[in-house]
Amino acid sequence: MAEHKHIDNHQEHGHQEHHIVPIPLYLMVFAILIVGTIATYFVAFLDLDGIFAGANTLVALLIAFTKMTCVALWFMHVKYSSRLIWLTALAGFFWLAIMFAFTMQDYLTRGSGVFTQ
Amino acid sequence: MTVCGYCQLPTKKMATHNDEHYHPPGLQHQFEDMGQQAESDSIGMWMFLVQEIMFFGGLFTVYLVFRSKYPMAFAAGSNHLDVFWGTVNTLVLIVSSLTMALAVHYAQLGKRNLQVILIIATMVLGTVFLGVKAVEYTAKYYEGIVPVKGLNLRTPKEAKHNVLKTATEHSPTDPDSEIRQSLDSPSSVEKKGGEHSEHEYVNPTADFVWEDTSLAVKARDAGYLTAAEKIGYFSNGEIDAAKFRDKVRIFFWIYFAMTGLHALHMIIGLGIMTWLLWKAWKGTFTAEFYAPVEMSGLYWHFVDIVWIFLFPLLYLLGRHFGGH
Repeated sequence: MAEHKHIDNHQEHGHQEHHIVPIPLYLMVFAILIVGTIATYFVAFLDLDGIFAGANTLVALLIAFTKMTCVALWFMHVKYSSRLIWLTALAGFFWLAIMFAFTMQDYLTRGSGVFTQ
Repeated sequence: MTVCGYCQLPTKKMATHNDEHYHPPGLQHQFEDMGQQAESDSIGMWMFLVQEIMFFGGLFTVYLVFRSKYPMAFAAGSNHLDVFWGTVNTLVLIVSSLTMALAVHYAQLGKRNLQVILIIATMVLGTVFLGVKAVEYTAKYYEGIVPVKGLNLRTPKEAKHNVLKTATEHSPTDPDSEIRQSLDSPSSVEKKGGEHSEHEYVNPTADFVWEDTSLAVKARDAGYLTAAEKIGYFSNGEIDAAKFRDKVRIFFWIYFAMTGLHALHMIIGLGIMTWLLWKAWKGTFTAEFYAPVEMSGLYWHFVDIVWIFLFPLLYLLGRHFGGH
């Protein structure tokens, strides 16, 4: 009898672990991704660099980051995952940021002749 | 002899549940419960994806370094990519991500038929993506902009970049006349390969060809060249077409390396999907055991995320300069 009770507890626990994302939510994320793609296409043809240099690239990357966040949170179920998964995913991008930052603080502070003879 | 993590009873094997004591179906002996097992699966896959981030990150770093040095050469090269096919491929990949997410959804519900259909749909879309990529690569080959010497043997005279020549001819600075002469002279390649006699092949060395220097000139006139560009595109204050070509060539190296590595991931993804389809077809996955579907999904979505960044960074970066 004791064993039976034990099993029931585990089954309840199991249901909490496996979050099933409803289909309408998937479709909403999908719609955001499609709209983002179309937006990034049309914005690229507008000259935003008149506002400040690099504005076009900034807008394109903001849209890309939004799309990535949507894919990661809902399609990849990070939103419903444990903190360990959150930490792992964020650590990946943190190390990537370190690589970019340390590389560029070197290259951008050198003379212009590095890649030219 | 091993002890089962779930019920602390001794067990003979780690992987099967033919023992006399109860387990939730799908639970491996080394885990205490389904939650711990699911988290272990996920953490392993995410650790792999994190090193994939760094793997692609190396190439993104190369992109960052060279684009910050030569933005105009990157814009010129980017404007020459086929933005229509690039956008189509982005949409194809997003739809494939949706079908993959739904495949996981129906695996979680233990619905075998919908699972199989959605895995097939994902594979079809992945194949379409690779097909479009092949069309694009072929076009680069016929335009003489594969950045490897000897790989542009089939560059016909009417290639797109040669049309651009008329634009640069009107500019006050005369671009590399030496290349122009070699382009106009009859090629040795044409003499060798007679089967394509309807075209005149004009690229005897089969090297990377680039003539359009208009963006560099435009940037100089508007006064927004970087310090590296002032040295990298110009000789004695005059536009140097050969120098500019070499910088555009860097862009095409990065384009082929990044999209090539991404395409390799798609091919591996299709291999995983084939295996997954076989398992799903046999009805392996149930509401209790669907981890392989979910983990394959994580991989597929990751490859989609890489493309989400490649698309604007490669195809769209210089569109607002008006192109050619």
